[in-house]
Amino acid sequence: MSAALQVSGLVKRFGGLVATNDLSFSLNEGESLGLIGPNGAGKTTVFSQIMGELRQNSGTIELFGKEISALSTPQRIRAGVSRTYQIPRPFGDMSVAENIRVGLMPDDIRRMIFSPPDTERERELALSVGFSEEDLDRTPTELAMGDLRKLEMARTMATAPKVMLLDEVFAGLTTGEIAQISDLIQSMRKDGMTFLIVSHDLPALEPLIDRAIAIERGTMIAEGSFSDVMNDKAVQASYLGGA
Amino acid sequence: MGLRWFHFALWGGLIAGMFLLPQVVSNGTLRTMIFANYLAIFAISWDVLSGRTGYVSFGHPFLIGIGAYTTAILTKRFDIPVEISIPVAVVFTMIAGLLVLLPALRIRGSYFALVTLAFMELLYQLVQVIRPDLTGGTRGMSGIQTLTRGAANGYYLSTALMLAIAVSMWLLMKTRLGTALSAIGMNEESVRGSGLSTTRLKAFAFLTSAMIAGLGGAFYVHYLGSLAPRALFDINFLFTIIVAALLGGTSTIIGPMIGAFFMTFLLEYLRPVLPGAERYFVYGAIALLLYMYQPKGIVELVKRGFKNLSKGRTA
Repeated sequence: MSAALQVSGLVKRFGGLVATNDLSFSLNEGESLGLIGPNGAGKTTVFSQIMGELRQNSGTIELFGKEISALSTPQRIRAGVSRTYQIPRPFGDMSVAENIRVGLMPDDIRRMIFSPPDTERERELALSVGFSEEDLDRTPTELAMGDLRKLEMARTMATAPKVMLLDEVFAGLTTGEIAQISDLIQSMRKDGMTFLIVSHDLPALEPLIDRAIAIERGTMIAEGSFSDVMNDKAVQASYLGGA
Repeated sequence: MGLRWFHFALWGGLIAGMFLLPQVVSNGTLRTMIFANYLAIFAISWDVLSGRTGYVSFGHPFLIGIGAYTTAILTKRFDIPVEISIPVAVVFTMIAGLLVLLPALRIRGSYFALVTLAFMELLYQLVQVIRPDLTGGTRGMSGIQTLTRGAANGYYLSTALMLAIAVSMWLLMKTRLGTALSAIGMNEESVRGSGLSTTRLKAFAFLTSAMIAGLGGAFYVHYLGSLAPRALFDINFLFTIIVAALLGGTSTIIGPMIGAFFMTFLLEYLRPVLPGAERYFVYGAIALLLYMYQPKGIVELVKRGFKNLSKGRTA
């Protein structure tokens, strides 16, 4: 059986800087993989290449056995991979429900015009990430950071992904909000979702992943279980400052 | 926001009111309203593209000009009936709209605005030097066939056209397409990140905007009966369209309509007091003040007024 996501020999250069250096990893269906590394290690650049927001210089990206490097970002999303962003990017003047509506839309102008929005699905998604009924009409300016992350999750889930890439999903959250988002991820894992998660919050990340890979300056320096990776000397030297 | 019964009631009231107006106002007022109707069409056209997607077009006179010149040349120089020349003009304008789209695939913000401004200036220069026997060169064209006679008929035609465009655009923008176009204006990357092809959506917005501009331009020239390039490809004309949309409230359909009527009547009522270009200072000052106080325009002021009223009643 082919992997849900297979990244092979990925290279991305920005001028003289090698942001991703011959990176290869795979992610099985239903698996949750942590991608860790210090600031500037190139984690978000990997996400951007998987989503097609940045084009790699070389290497391949396969989703369920199909090479997706030639596809645009919307096409990749339709193929089943979706991401959240480190800094949430809501549609500021739209309500929570309308934000989710954009994620639910078909990429087909005729259907956008002639078929009505699925307000029940919008509601379901909003409630599933922890919003209340009253929140549906609120705008992002009225939401706390934790709510904005939930909104980002809901809009990403609305695109019906099979593989979700979560970028710094706990950044700026309170302990309570972290627990809420963690519960949501755990319940989605139970439902079979495949995750690639970037987080600096290692204690929060640990229970959410089956294994981890660590990168530094775009190069993989360790791979294995969370504890194996954290005990790796190279990881400790680079990521934890040799602690 | 979905469709509600009172939306249709308000539109019905507006349509009825506008069609009954010739019974109670003078021909002079009707003539002013004809200009307001055409300005509203141009402002709606601008709003469908720029108000929604955030791609600020400084080139709308270019699109309006394509529509106006195409039908004027076809009818006057080739004796083609307006039933054919106007649809051809609209198609030509839509093709021109695709030309404007091309830079938008790569640039946005002030760069896009400047490129579209260049389109307007380019057409202004071109109509003067390329085939002046057809375009009338710097003097423009006169004696173009008019579609109506008398202020009331001109008013009915322009009102019907403006309301037909306004209602159809309002219905279109109430669909998920309208939501997607507004989303592009708020965060284009997030729209792509939601799995939607923004190129296709932008192309639709450009074509729709061009279609309205072409339709408005074609009917406008057949109302005026003449065409002067300096008046059409004029920065004041461009700003009048943009300010009308901004004053009324962008990303709404009623906003550009209100803005167009407000601006036209303001300038008209100022005419006896300030006959020269000083009038533009007054409207500029009002536009600036309103925009500083309420960037979402008159529509938002009215909405807030109603909200406060209903709060007052329930309190």
